[in-house]
Amino acid sequence: MKVYVIFYFQVHQPFRIAPYSFFDIGTGKSYFDEDLNRAVFNKVSDRCYLPANNLFKELILESEGRFKISFSLTGTFIEQAKLYRPDVYQSFVDLWKTGGVELLSETYYHSLASIFDLEEFVEQVDEHIKLMKREFGHEPTVFRNTELIYFDKLSDVLINFPNLQTILIEGADRILMGESPLYPRWSANHAHLLLLKHYKLSDDIAFRFSDRSWPEWPLTVPKYVRWVNDLTLAEGQGRNLYLGLFMDYETFGEHQWAESGIFEFMRHLIRALLKEPMIDFLFPSEALKTLNFTPKALSVPTPTSWADTERDLSAWLSNPLQWNAMKSIFELLRLAKEKGRWDLVPTIRKLTTSDHFYYMCIKYFQDGDVHKYFSPYPSPEVAYKYFLNIIADLEQQLED
Amino acid sequence: MRVLMLTWEYPPFIVGGLGMACYGLFRGLFSLRVTVDFILPVKEDVYFKIKSPEEADHPRVKSENGEEAKEQKKPLEFFEFIYELPEEGAYASLKDFIVEVSKSLAVSSKEPKLQVPDEVISRLKYLLLQGNHMISKVSLYTEKVLRIAQRLSFDLIHAHDWLTYPAGLMLKKYFNKPLVSHIHATEFDRSLGFGHPIIHEIEYLGLNYADKVVAVSRYTANIIKELYFVPEEKVRVVYNAYYAETQSPHKIKKFKEPVVLFLGRLTPQKGPTIFLELAKKVLERTKKVRFLVAGAGEMERELMLWASSLGYGAHIMFTGFLKRAEVERALSLADIVIMPSPSEPFGIVALEAMHFGCALILSKQSGASEIVKSAYVIECWDVDKMVDIVLELINNPKLLKAKQEEARREVQTFRWEDRAREVLEVYRELLS
Repeated sequence: MKVYVIFYFQVHQPFRIAPYSFFDIGTGKSYFDEDLNRAVFNKVSDRCYLPANNLFKELILESEGRFKISFSLTGTFIEQAKLYRPDVYQSFVDLWKTGGVELLSETYYHSLASIFDLEEFVEQVDEHIKLMKREFGHEPTVFRNTELIYFDKLSDVLINFPNLQTILIEGADRILMGESPLYPRWSANHAHLLLLKHYKLSDDIAFRFSDRSWPEWPLTVPKYVRWVNDLTLAEGQGRNLYLGLFMDYETFGEHQWAESGIFEFMRHLIRALLKEPMIDFLFPSEALKTLNFTPKALSVPTPTSWADTERDLSAWLSNPLQWNAMKSIFELLRLAKEKGRWDLVPTIRKLTTSDHFYYMCIKYFQDGDVHKYFSPYPSPEVAYKYFLNIIADLEQQLED
Repeated sequence: MRVLMLTWEYPPFIVGGLGMACYGLFRGLFSLRVTVDFILPVKEDVYFKIKSPEEADHPRVKSENGEEAKEQKKPLEFFEFIYELPEEGAYASLKDFIVEVSKSLAVSSKEPKLQVPDEVISRLKYLLLQGNHMISKVSLYTEKVLRIAQRLSFDLIHAHDWLTYPAGLMLKKYFNKPLVSHIHATEFDRSLGFGHPIIHEIEYLGLNYADKVVAVSRYTANIIKELYFVPEEKVRVVYNAYYAETQSPHKIKKFKEPVVLFLGRLTPQKGPTIFLELAKKVLERTKKVRFLVAGAGEMERELMLWASSLGYGAHIMFTGFLKRAEVERALSLADIVIMPSPSEPFGIVALEAMHFGCALILSKQSGASEIVKSAYVIECWDVDKMVDIVLELINNPKLLKAKQEEARREVQTFRWEDRAREVLEVYRELLS
């Protein structure tokens, strides 16, 4: 029996919208805040993308390919990387060329199309697959939806893409009902293998690593390796275990600063895990080939995600501001397609990115809360106003 | 004739309805050769004098001893002031107490030259000592006025709204000059019922111990007669007017659909929920219209949540706080302006809207509705009636255009010079 460690990192940047006042409607002002987007991209590149890519490249090369990771790179990220930081784009290409990286499939625009418009969802997934082929010559076989949103119907829809065999999902308590996230499951329709995120061990690194009020702080390499080894204690039948460590790539250097020691921790953790006889690294697509048992099926009737403590859609859809804004943008998109306004479609699609609605979330918009930390706007109301003004401008353009 | 004006707002420093009204009135009085000095709630010991029409537009600072202050280095620092009602219960006992005390301070004499008794002054001093953030600013202003007034000569004091009434009453007492109390809004309007007990008491004293009271509408005159027992013969109604700085501008067409505008603070007094109710009912019938809520205030989140829950996309939009130039742009692109306030002493925004060529729907509970003939005047609760009118106007562009032109024309008849003449008449009564 083995413990397979599956690292998956989400790499995403939204096109943040500009402070677009009511009086900007009809003036031709750009919807997106170029300066802000460039500044954020530069900051994250220097703090996270470049140092993390260098670290993982080094570890892949020195382990001669035994260390493996997977990335999901959104279309909006690739566009911004090519636009603002070709060096960062090249660094991802170089990392990919080591062979130690698997690239996943998702919606090009990191949107919630799967909730609002399944036709649009299929188009955005298709656009992303084409992007992966074009940029990396790679045809993905593993899918992850925006923010790990998953529900039974999603698997039905993904049958449209016969190459996709595996889906990454959140190991939420309410769908597992006390069972372990370490065993992959079949989707309710048995069409896809579901790999589950182990949220405790993932979040120990992603959220708690530098939290001094956490009783386990400081997190040391031997301690974490022990936790991983201990996972085998509960397994009596020799089944392989699949440890899904899924997190935002910005964990490294951005959410956990370099000063916290996160990079050195990862370097030593991976070297230590490579020495453990029971532990191997795996690409998500390899899970299917290494199964030594028949997985059970898992039914997820209502959407789960990896966001907030609720692990549902409430980060983007818990108040009417978010709902009205999202409903409007998908309606507009449908209208633009009907009218054949393909000149506007890419712009409208950039507005379907989930981050815009995350900024309108009220439930956790207190000082120090994550929504506020990640928002470039002073309040959810302000984010909503700008967004609605842009919608009004687009509506006028669509009438021309 | 020299008049010492006490006011909390004056453009371009602070622009609200009060500031707009003072601007028009002071300018109008100047044209009638009344010398106007005025004191604003700034931290610096300065006052303002209007010696020319330009100075009405760009008032110049005078130092305490009347000299032209040297070049302003720094912008004036205004007292930070936020109107707020007391916490529920915090003033409960005070309220009863005040009602008791007020009874003993009721105006008894009907003699023509009404004096301010010592008890009233000591009562005011006591009230101003209440450690409340808001009241303490009024206290600072009062001290400042008493200090500066010693260096000024004036024939008459004219105080605008409760914030300046304590200063007005004390000046009247110590300088033995007549006092005109101008009421632009009562605490009953601001709080839609019983409000801050200290403000009520100051309004009561400020209106009853003034020699004359100027109310901005019959509506307001009735409130102060009924609720503050101000005798009819003391009250003069002088409506607000509009001073057009520019030619009535052309309409801007931003949207293909007509725009219906609410412009004002997002507080219950201005009736923004009535506006949303109206928007909802109109949008159920037609999508060929946009509703715009312009302004900021404590109800913003509540209103936005409600509006967005209707799911009409960008057909109901919010601008947030607007700067002066933005207010004018909003009015230029609006086709219909609704002022649905459940209690509006005047509502100067109605006149502005007319100047910018907007068709108007006014609540009957507003002072402006008493004089504006081109507006539709509807009971504030009669949303269905407003819906019918809005639908009629947006379905009948000719009618809309006619209403807009009618408004543009009518507003020219509301002249501050005429209003200033009415105020001057009040002064003459007192000084003769």
